[in-house]
Amino acid sequence: MPERPPPEMVTITIDGREVEVPQGEYIIKVAEDLGTYIPRFCYHPRMTPVGLCRMCLVEVETPRGRLLTTACNTPVAPEMIVDTESAVVQKAQEGILEFLLINHPLDCPVCDKGGECPLQDQTVAYGPGESRFVEEKRHFEKPIPLSDIVLMDRERCILCARCTRFSEEVSGDPLIEFVGRGNQTHVITFPDEPFASYFSGNTVEICPVGALTAKPYRFKARPWDLEAIESVSMVDASGASISIETSQNEVVRINGIDNDATNHGWLSDKDRFIFQAVNSENRLTAPLVRDDAGNLQPTSWGEALDRVADALGSVRGDEVASIGGANNTNEEAFALGKFLRSVVMTPHIDVQVGDALNPDFLVGITPRAEIRDLDRAATILVWAGDLKEEFPTLYLRVRRAVTQMGAKLVVVHPRRTGLDDLAAAKITYRPGEGPEVVRKLAAGADADYAAARELLTAGSVTALIGLTGRAEDPRLAEVVAAYALDLPGAKVLPLARRGNVFGGLDMGLAPTLLPGRVPVTSESGRAELESAWGPLPDAVGRDAAAILAGLAEGEVKVLLLVGADPVRDGRNPDSARAALAAADFVVSFDMFLNDSNQHAAVVLPVDGFAETEGTVTNVEGRVQKAYRSMTWDRLVWGPERDGVVMPDGPGIQELQYTPDGGGVRSTAGRLALHSGRVLYDAGTRNVQSPALAALVPDPAVYLHPRDASALALTDSQVVDVTGEFGAVRLPVRIDATLAEGSAYVPANLESTWMLGVPDVVTIEASSAEEVAE
Amino acid sequence: MSAASVIADWSAPNQERARRLLETYPEERSAVMPLLYLASLEHGYLTSAGMTQVAQLTGLTSAQVQSVASFYTMFKRDHVGRYLISVCTSISCYLLGADDVLAAVETETTARDGTTSVDGAFTVEHVECIGACGGAPAVQVNYELVEGVLPEKATALCKWLRETSPDVVMTDAMQKSFGGVRSFDWGIGEEQGAVAPVPAFGPYGSTGGESAR
Repeated sequence: MPERPPPEMVTITIDGREVEVPQGEYIIKVAEDLGTYIPRFCYHPRMTPVGLCRMCLVEVETPRGRLLTTACNTPVAPEMIVDTESAVVQKAQEGILEFLLINHPLDCPVCDKGGECPLQDQTVAYGPGESRFVEEKRHFEKPIPLSDIVLMDRERCILCARCTRFSEEVSGDPLIEFVGRGNQTHVITFPDEPFASYFSGNTVEICPVGALTAKPYRFKARPWDLEAIESVSMVDASGASISIETSQNEVVRINGIDNDATNHGWLSDKDRFIFQAVNSENRLTAPLVRDDAGNLQPTSWGEALDRVADALGSVRGDEVASIGGANNTNEEAFALGKFLRSVVMTPHIDVQVGDALNPDFLVGITPRAEIRDLDRAATILVWAGDLKEEFPTLYLRVRRAVTQMGAKLVVVHPRRTGLDDLAAAKITYRPGEGPEVVRKLAAGADADYAAARELLTAGSVTALIGLTGRAEDPRLAEVVAAYALDLPGAKVLPLARRGNVFGGLDMGLAPTLLPGRVPVTSESGRAELESAWGPLPDAVGRDAAAILAGLAEGEVKVLLLVGADPVRDGRNPDSARAALAAADFVVSFDMFLNDSNQHAAVVLPVDGFAETEGTVTNVEGRVQKAYRSMTWDRLVWGPERDGVVMPDGPGIQELQYTPDGGGVRSTAGRLALHSGRVLYDAGTRNVQSPALAALVPDPAVYLHPRDASALALTDSQVVDVTGEFGAVRLPVRIDATLAEGSAYVPANLESTWMLGVPDVVTIEASSAEEVAE
Repeated sequence: MSAASVIADWSAPNQERARRLLETYPEERSAVMPLLYLASLEHGYLTSAGMTQVAQLTGLTSAQVQSVASFYTMFKRDHVGRYLISVCTSISCYLLGADDVLAAVETETTARDGTTSVDGAFTVEHVECIGACGGAPAVQVNYELVEGVLPEKATALCKWLRETSPDVVMTDAMQKSFGGVRSFDWGIGEEQGAVAPVPAFGPYGSTGGESAR
């Protein structure tokens, strides 16, 4: 990739020291790099400086003499002379702090920020020690809820604009702003328009005082009692770096860590508050086995494990299968895969559940993009699920690339996505007609596609490619990737959503892959592994769907569910349930009971997120340490790999570009289903996290206005949505952003999962007035 | 949502003014302040609905529009009487008896400073300098300036407003009947006046000269 030229260096003098620094960098940054900390409140390295709080005043020599200036937004210039500690600077710092404290309450003993508060710390370090202000301080009603999660204590606010700048600049949903003027200025939402941002928790983290607090942590602990360890978020596969903070052996808070390779310190609220599920009272604590009456009863580990061992020993190896493992570490996945292949002797292993992309495609595609490539791309192609819903921290990176790094964005999706407002070109298509879109893009004849085509052929392209919805044929992603790889300077980042799904694939939890991305069909690769593990099955295994089919047909008899719920996550809930019922023996490893494992023979409770230690592999192949000791930036995976394991060797598959879509399922002439995921779905961990459970949206079916009028349906009318696998009763929402001829049903909300994932649906006005609960 | 559908409930002339305003600036958000006056004129004062409409017209969020609106005291976010009486209490007017003027206005209108009279006829406020120090004490009626308004003149002015209830108030007419010393006697004559407690500006203004409501 073309490296950017190194910045020009200039010589400046800071506190009498002559130094070479990059031209254009701000004084506050170069001073910090040289070890001189200039106090600040409003400055944040990931946001544009505004010079609002005035805390970073330094003295700079100018033709008009020595002047105080803000270090956060003054770029260095040749021959500049800066003094950060002069008597004038110190007097200025004391003055600013005395001003800030005029209206800031001294309630530090009851303030959540006390102990880790920049205002408190810097008052001690740079403050005047006492105040001349004897009048009464300002009072506000407190606290004001800005949203279901974030609360505002206005009298503590020092008006640094970090939160408002974050919401405008970084997350792009400026729902909070300054209101009023002078002494009465405060930050608030518009009446009845709450701060309903997927990223609202970041404002709490970057607030330099205790003005913004989040409900899950408010009054829960004091910072000096917290034990913090560095880890990786498993909410999605982007591998965001986090700090897990515990008090008295309970997780009370998660903060972001600034990792240049992944999340820049930002997290989604799901990343931040999902820990509540770990503390849930509904977690399984003892092994459960089914008694003679058919009920699950707690028992001892010995009894439960004996039953599992008996079941595994009573059938042939290839009658055993395993689904899941994407919430586990690489080490756990490796151990599971080794056990299944070399001890049980089964090839039927699948880490993916309902939204499976071809594992060979996921691990093998090359040249593969890193997340950082977004910063350098001329054009970004997103043909995947709505990143804001499925990969929120990756969404922020794409947003930054477009708004600040000059990348042009092309979005292809069956409906409006969170990125549409930034897109230079957007193509909306009916689910099932993806191959047609690829053909038109490649041919370039269609005027509607001219803008997108021009952008895609203009310069280096980074393509994010995944399933746009659960009803999409997984082969489409391969067709799109094959097209994208023919574009100039193209790199592809294949997207699969679940936490450590890429680690699972790397460790061989796939029907076609052995550990190390070696195809099962590679004789030499298997022989090498057999020299270490002993004999292994040589067949290509069944994927999750085929495992369920095998259970129903009696060819698979024993099933391991490793944190998986195929009833909710598969295409057909009824047949998945029937398959599980037909199994001789189902053992589930899980934190909670769910729709699949409540009929299992044995349920084994497992450690959850933040309780296990190991490594996790993200969507780009970056291996990071989860929990304790080693951290992402110290992990070395070999020279010039930068922690990212790039595909090489026998894992790479030749992808053929098939312009006709090569058998991609067609939905012509019928109402195609778009089953897109939403961030706060009714998944177990969301439902078990009180802060997030309240945010799960109401289910509905979204129809294009013309389709709705053709069916004589109006907004909020209750309809029966029927597909191949089931039916569900939902209210109608009219949605002009949808492709005509399709119906959008958000995946896995309370009730919508019962529809399963058919290709097409029929919609009829319901006789019932109310939506069935 | 198209601009037309956002403000479909506005009067036809105000819809046309909004359309012209949005065309005036290269960036739609630049039109936010004149549009806020227009929304005030349309709804009588700047309602939450009005701010949301302006947000939709300019591509901002309602919170951002509220931030602008709340910074400026001339965007009234509560009911305003038919006549807004603004009494200057800055230094020149203060030294020449602005307190007495304000008291006289309060007595005559029955509206205390910062409130609206029960009958909805008057809103009274004290304001910072309105640029008429040479003609102090000065008062504005719906932002139409009257200078040299001594307390008894102020009482008479309010009485006249209540009794005649004029559709349009004009600086020159009020100055003649109720004013005293003027800052600039050589100023050109004002042909237009205000029809509502919203400042009258240029082509979109609320002046009687362009389009009386």
